[in-house]
This record gives sequence, structure tokens and C-alpha cells, in this order.
Amino acid sequence: MVRYSLQSGWARLPGRICSRSCKTRLELYEITYPIGIPLTTPPGTCAVGVKGKDIVVLGCEKRSAMKLQDTRITPSKICLVDTHVSLAFAGLNADARILVDKARLEAQSHKLTVEDPVSIEYITKYVAGVQQKYTQSGGVRPFGISTLIVGFDPNDKTPRLYQTEPSGIYSAWKANAIGRSSKTVREFLERNHKADMDREETIKLTVKSLLEVVQTGAKNIEISVMAPGKPMEILPVEDIEKYVESINTEKQEEAATRRGGRTPGTGTAAILTRPADDGPSAS
Amino acid sequence: MDALVAQYSRPAHHDEGYSQDEQQELIESTPSLSLKFALPPIASPSAWLRAMTDDYSNPNCPIKIAHGTTTLAFRFKGGIIVATDSRATAGNWIASQTVKKVIEINPMLLGTMAGGAADCQYWLAYLGMQCRLHELRHKRRISVAAASKILANLVYAYKGMGLSMGTMCAGVTPQEGPALYYIDSDGTRLAGNLFCVGSGQTFAYGVLDAEYSYDLSEEEALELGRRSILAATHRDAFSGGFINLYHVKESGWVKHGFSDTNPIFWKTKLEKGEFSNVTADLE
Amino acid sequence: MEVLLGITGKDYTIIAASKAAMRGATILKASDDKTRALNKHSLMAFSGEAGDTVQFAEYIQANIQLYSMRNDTNLGPGAVASFVRGELAKALRSRKPYTVNLMLGGWDPITEKPSLYWADYLASLAKLPYAAHGYAQYYCLSILDKHHHPDIDFEQGMKILRMCTDELKRRLPIDFKGVFVKVVTKDGIREIKYEDDMPVKSA
Repeated sequence: MVRYSLQSGWARLPGRICSRSCKTRLELYEITYPIGIPLTTPPGTCAVGVKGKDIVVLGCEKRSAMKLQDTRITPSKICLVDTHVSLAFAGLNADARILVDKARLEAQSHKLTVEDPVSIEYITKYVAGVQQKYTQSGGVRPFGISTLIVGFDPNDKTPRLYQTEPSGIYSAWKANAIGRSSKTVREFLERNHKADMDREETIKLTVKSLLEVVQTGAKNIEISVMAPGKPMEILPVEDIEKYVESINTEKQEEAATRRGGRTPGTGTAAILTRPADDGPSAS
Repeated sequence: MDALVAQYSRPAHHDEGYSQDEQQELIESTPSLSLKFALPPIASPSAWLRAMTDDYSNPNCPIKIAHGTTTLAFRFKGGIIVATDSRATAGNWIASQTVKKVIEINPMLLGTMAGGAADCQYWLAYLGMQCRLHELRHKRRISVAAASKILANLVYAYKGMGLSMGTMCAGVTPQEGPALYYIDSDGTRLAGNLFCVGSGQTFAYGVLDAEYSYDLSEEEALELGRRSILAATHRDAFSGGFINLYHVKESGWVKHGFSDTNPIFWKTKLEKGEFSNVTADLE
Repeated sequence: MEVLLGITGKDYTIIAASKAAMRGATILKASDDKTRALNKHSLMAFSGEAGDTVQFAEYIQANIQLYSMRNDTNLGPGAVASFVRGELAKALRSRKPYTVNLMLGGWDPITEKPSLYWADYLASLAKLPYAAHGYAQYYCLSILDKHHHPDIDFEQGMKILRMCTDELKRRLPIDFKGVFVKVVTKDGIREIKYEDDMPVKSA
């Protein structure tokens, strides 16, 4: 696996090498960076996106704040690209800021040139396009982030959820997770996602999937909800707490019935522990 | 000798690999909609163009641009009617009586031609290309609002440089319903129910305004479009030839003939008794 | 003969803009909206050279909205006005200036005061209690001078606006097809239904 670090390997992608023959170029390319292996995201806190029937929810693991940190004004991992598009990312925070800014600029510029606001697919394609550019041109380092882009197309009620990767790949999903332990969360979503969930179910599934990797509960979870034609809604902590509580009681009940019926202690642990590798200091 | 030295002193792999331009090309996969263009090597291009082409201020100008026209388009409940005459004049000379002034941008969109024939033909063809590209990129038909705005932005970029166009964009889309836009080379872009453009516009407006209603039936609407052009061809010296009639529906446009004004005029006169100022008998 | 009018009052700013879009001797459209909302609390009305007006207004609109998206706050009316003037001044010294006259109505949620800025195509900017552009200046400023006070309520404001539009209908030689009226208050921008068809008695 290729690791994101700000040194050699990444700073010296091909492209800059001009005065070699094409053949050497390719060889160099393969040495620096084997073709076929996609660029991966450096582990950052987990982000989850889930589509419901007429709603789409983004959930994020918030890095636990230091004692003196002012949490009210520390930037969020969920940002608005335009009033109808929101984006969550996992990876290098600082890279994300630049990418989000480019996306915002494109959203407004698109509206200025063709009157219609961007469609979710269009802005996804744009974000992925920018990420791709930074794997191919000289003197630059790729964006160390994956993103989930969600929202509703103008005058449309179908929820949309896309993912982009540092390589520039983009894909559409019913539910997906990126960032640290995303595999665990994705597997959880694969087991539990249903078609046509209502608002409550969708939010609950999002919180529940995040609880697979977040032990600290509601205070480290951030949830945003998008509905057609409405502005993005960030759920207050109290609301998330309620979801967490109801999920916990459900789990306890489930565990109790299981213990009552069968031999004790066979059920899988309700909360999986976080994997040992924490990655570099990315949030 | 110098050439000999140059031959051997050139770096071994001078022109291998990608040049700066080629790299740029690789990176910029999609060109932006706002064009960058070269100016002619003249101090003030617009004044020069006027001196060369405007036969009104300079009757001996070497290039005479086709100008006079009547075109109209109006929205009604069954779609949009587009009608034009077919005369092209250059000064007092009738250059053609069989010009197609309705430009089929694609099977769904129509444009009309008034002002410089070449300008309209070229830029509406260019618009057709942009519409197709939009379709391929966004996987859906372009809205009439977006299409008209592409054209408006484009002619605005050339403002003051001698473009002369007065055009209407008509189309019916599921999102917008029947949509009609007026665009001219000043950069004006207006949405509306009814527009007439060209030297014969006032005559066409007269007939059209009096009997126009959104709830016209298809036959009534077609007849009104035809009759309005006939009125203009009768009174405006720079309009005439054939009546080109189209009906735009959600499924695309339908052509309703390219018919000679002369028999239509006599039919209208003899059957309905209109145009009574023209005497039919030879006393 | 485009008409732009602006009146501030106790807790609102009224902007009125004529509805006619003229080209040569023809009125192409009788319901043309010559205003653009820049953000929740600022509205821009524009008149001038065809093409330039809308292009400039939408360019400003996109930039102000981009600012809102990037910073999660709206630019206040004073800041908006400065930005707009700056862009106009920059264009004025370029190869292709924007020939646009502007009126900016706003409400400042921090000072809780309404504001009205007047700007012309030469990029002069003035903060005024009431203002007009074009021929409307000659007829309306005297009316406004006489009847306007800084603390008038909304009904009084609309009454003065009616006096202005009636006078314009009476004396302006070209029909401007009535006006669109919009008001900026603490709740944002809203359009006011404005009766245009009433006959005006000539003196």
C-alpha cells in the first residue's frame, strides 16, 4: 500500500520528467508508482453517507477536541459546496480546504455561465477531475483526500451520493464510508442498508454505522441532513445523543434476549474496537 | 557551420517526451465555455469593420452584409411557433429569395436568423456543438435557458467587434415547458412569450399582438405565425420570398413547409378580402 | 428611459425598477426584472447599456454568493457596495468598461439599519436616504426632497413611491410599463405587488 507522506515519493510523481524518452518515462512511472494500483487516501477520521427514500445523510467522526480547543469555531469535515450540494471528506484537512474551494468556485461559475445550478454528478466529476489533474501534472502533489458528495439535483427528488478518490476515480453509492476503518463501516452498511428508508431510519443507520468505529458516542459524531429543495441541516448534539441512546438500548435488549436464549457470550461484541494502526496525524 | 554546431550541441533528447503545451493539453480535458480569441491586427477592429461592411454609412463598402429580415416566434399552450421570411438583401440588392432563416440547432432546438447571415449560421452551429457536448457530459438534454445563455455569453464576449445578430432560441423541455429566449449581439438575453426580430418586426408585431393568446389551438397558432410573416413581407421591402414555418413540441420540432408568399398573398386577399388596398382588377 | 428608484425608511429599503426592455423603437418585453438578489439582505437594481447590465449584475451576484459559501457569512451592505464599486472602477480603466448604473438596497443585520447606495457607470458611489437614476431623477428627487424623512414607516414609503411613479407616468414621454417593487427588511428581500394599471389624472 502506498502511504501518503509529504516527502519524496509523493513530491516526485512523473510528469515533471520531460527530457527522457517515452519508454523511460513509463518505466520511471512504474517504479515510482505502479500502474493499476489506485492512489489511496491517507487514513483520516471516518465519514459516512447514506441515501434514504427522499433524503440523504452525511455522518462524520469528529476528532476528539483538546482541552483548550474551541470546538465551536473549529472547521467541520462537512462543508457546503452550493446550497444544494454538501461534501464530506476524509484525509488531509488542509488539502480538503483547497479542493472544496475549487468546487465552490466551479459551482458559482457554472451557475453564472449556464444559469442552472450544478448537478451533483457534474460537481462530483469536477472534483474528481481536479484530483486526477494533480496526479498527472508536474510539480504538484495529489490531494490526499477522499470525498463523499451528496445532495439533490435542482428540481429533482432523487437523493444522490458519490465518492471521489485521490486518483480521480468517482463512483455512485447507496451508502458508503471513507476514512479510518471505512472497511468495517462499509461492511456494516452492506449488512444493514435497506431500500427506501425514511428520514428517521436513514439518520439512525448513519449514527449506528459510525458507532461501529466511534466509541466516544454522540459528542464525537456530526450529522448533516439534506432534503430536496431545503437548506442543509446540521443536527444538534442533543438529537444525535437521542439516536445514540436508542441504539444502545436496542443493542442491550438484543444482547439480553440472545443471552437468555442461547449459551452466554457467543454474540459478537456490540462495539468493535478501533484497529491498531492509527496512521499519520491526519484527522 | 553554425547549423553543424547546433546539430551536435542540441541535447540528446530534445524533442522527446511531452512538451509544455502537450502537458497542458493533457491536463485541460474540458475546455471552458468562455472563449479566448485573437484580435485582428488593426488599431480599432470595430471601426474598421464598420467602414468595410456598413453600406448605410458607406455605400461603397467592399463587403455588403445580408441584413433585412422578418423573424418571429411565440409561445402557446401547444409549444412554440417559429416563422421567418426567406429574403437576403445586401444593400438594395436581393441576394437570395430562398434563405433558410430557421436554424435547426438539433432535433429539439431551433434558432432564428436576423442580422448577419454568416454570424448567425456560424454561431448557431457552434451552439449546436456545445449543446451536444453538454448532452454527452451531463447525460441529459440541455435546457433552453442554458443553451441561450451559452450563446448570449459568447456574443457578449465579442461585443463591440462587429457581430450583428438578433436571434431567438426556442425549445420545449420537460423541466421548463415551452421556453423562448431572445438573444442579440449587444448581449441582451430575454425570456418571453413573443418576439419579432428584423427590419419587418413592427409589421409582424402588429398582426401578432392583436390576435395572440397563450391558449391558441395548434392550427390557429400556425395560421397566425404565417399571417404575421405575410404582413411583414407585404410591407417591408427587405423581407419576402418564402414563409418558413415550424412548430416546436416536447418531442422535437416539426416543419410546416417552406411556402411561396405570392400564392399565399393572393389566396388571403381573394378568399378573405384582406389587403384591400391592392386592386385585383386591371382598370 | 429606464427608471430606478430607491427609498429608505425606518426599517426597510424600497427599490423600484421599470419593467420595459427596449431595443430601438420596440418594447421587447414588458415584464423585465432589472434587479438581482445578491444575498439575503442585499438587492441590486441596474440600468444602462444592453448586455452589460445583466452580465455585470450576475457576475457580482456570483461573487457575493461565492463569498457567502466560502465564509459562511454574508457580506454586509456597506461591504457589498464597496466591492461593487471596486469592480466597476476596475472595469472602467480596462479595455471594455461596463456602462451600468446601479442602486443597492440593503439591511445590515449587525447595526439593524437599512441602507441605500447609489452608483453610476463612472464608479462613483454614494450612500443616500433616497435616490434615482436616469430621467426619473429630474421628476422624483424634488418629490423625495419634500416628502421623505429618515424614520417614515413602510406605508408612508410606499405612498411616496406612488407619488413618484404617478408623476413619471404623467410626464415621461415614453411608457416604461410600470415598475417592479422590492423591499429589503430584516426578514430578507420580498417583492411587493404593485398596481400599475391605474390611470393617472393629468394636471
